[in-house]
Amino acid sequence: MSIITISRGSYSMGKAVAMQVAQRLNYRLISREVLLDASSHFHVPEIKLIKAIHDAPGILERYRHNKQSYVAYIRSVLVERVVDDNVVYHGLAGHLLLKGIPQVLKVRINADLERRVAVVMERDKISASDARILIQEDDKQRRKWTRSLYGQDPWDTSLYDLSICIHKLSIENAVDYICQAADTRRFQSTEKNIQKVKDMSVACRVKADLVDEFPNIGVTCEYGNVLIYMKGKDQVTGKLTKKLNLIRENTSGIYHLETHAGVEPPPDAV
Amino acid sequence: MSIIIISSDAMEIEETIAEKVAEAMGYSRLGHQILADVAAKYQIDPVKLNEAMETTPSLFKNLSARQWRHYLACVEAEVYDYLLADNIVCWGLAAHLYVTGISHVMKVRVLSGNSRGTMEIAEQKGISLQVVEKLRAGELQQRKKWSLAAYNYDETDLSRYDLVINLDQIDPEEAVKTITGAIEYRKFQVMTYSMKCLSNLALSARVNVTLLKSMADINVQARDGSVVVSTKASARQKRKKIATIKELAGNVDGVSYVEVHVKKNILEETA
Repeated sequence: MSIITISRGSYSMGKAVAMQVAQRLNYRLISREVLLDASSHFHVPEIKLIKAIHDAPGILERYRHNKQSYVAYIRSVLVERVVDDNVVYHGLAGHLLLKGIPQVLKVRINADLERRVAVVMERDKISASDARILIQEDDKQRRKWTRSLYGQDPWDTSLYDLSICIHKLSIENAVDYICQAADTRRFQSTEKNIQKVKDMSVACRVKADLVDEFPNIGVTCEYGNVLIYMKGKDQVTGKLTKKLNLIRENTSGIYHLETHAGVEPPPDAV
Repeated sequence: MSIIIISSDAMEIEETIAEKVAEAMGYSRLGHQILADVAAKYQIDPVKLNEAMETTPSLFKNLSARQWRHYLACVEAEVYDYLLADNIVCWGLAAHLYVTGISHVMKVRVLSGNSRGTMEIAEQKGISLQVVEKLRAGELQQRKKWSLAAYNYDETDLSRYDLVINLDQIDPEEAVKTITGAIEYRKFQVMTYSMKCLSNLALSARVNVTLLKSMADINVQARDGSVVVSTKASARQKRKKIATIKELAGNVDGVSYVEVHVKKNILEETA
């Protein structure tokens, strides 16, 4: 009874590992569905969402906050999908989007560069040097994306509970270790943990509904009590009040909603 | 029949896990305790040797770059000699940075975990969490700087390891179980070729130590007793340097042939 996120560099066999883990543990496997859900729910083309969680924001995008909105949409849908537990997620940035949920086993799958090059050469019928450039560019974008949105390096070991290199260790070995780790006490869902995911789902939903017009807000939720943190005191406008009334009516799981203007959001705010 | 190299962001964790793995596997231990033997064997001040393993050279620390490189080479040579014996758990000697390309070596990084590690240290030392976090961040930065300066590798880069386990959520016992389970895998078993690669690295390290005692800018590669040394020298010193290298390297045990490649040292020639 836990949630497993499998992060990987491109062409690093992460998908194969995720599929086998889900099969062995009889868990649901999710990846692209999250983007499809977010696309239909928030009326954003899927390609824009893919770009939002793949490419680093450009100079202008940093001011337009589009990417921030798209990431909030994706996070909202993803957290909603993992509320029911027993899930393996192998899409982009799962370890960051599900940050703060205790029963998430964060796994990183690496493969040595030469093996990745061989996979790309075979798949795209290109030369080794072109394949290498493609992979390196992809890795560079992932690094830039994580740094710009979360201030962290995806290659930083401390972001994951388990990091496995598919080189000397095989896909089957990786599956064994992940299943073994998922079975340990700390990754089991408790009543408290399940409530935490439910609260996070509400907070993410509220954030997704507000982020377009209020990109700098932070939202927390505890047992259905939602707190919205805003930096500027003068930002609590009629527009926000109307929007909050709508959210209250349309979002289930909210008991009480409160805004805190002029207050820095706490570190666990989404 | 393998070698396990364990590295961690916290020295205590590194030692604890390594000891437990060695006990579980019945392997011998190779830890920083051998530094005293290295100091005695190569007639180095033990304090300076310990310092070289932790800090980078600096004018203010009375440790020159050449001395530093020589000290590190001494440790490397000694570590390789021990590793040739096989069935060993090694930690605390930065071996994860220089033992490369050996298939029967499994490299594991164990992270103390932010929350758990910080709280334990705060309790032990009686200081606040913020102070501990600041101290740990400083230590990590220092280790990163050292590993880049010494071997041009960032030791926090997870692609350098076969397995990285974060103890934030995973129990140390579970980590030991995972490591001991992984080493049983056939790709970590000794092969004639991997043993030969290790012997070649050991020979390179021995030649390196001998040469670094009296010169800098040396790169050594060994293969089945043949040694290729690359270095830099001005046109005037080229002959003399080649002769010296051939003489020194030729006297090292196991060396049957020495080849020296010299590049022009433009700086020296301009001076």
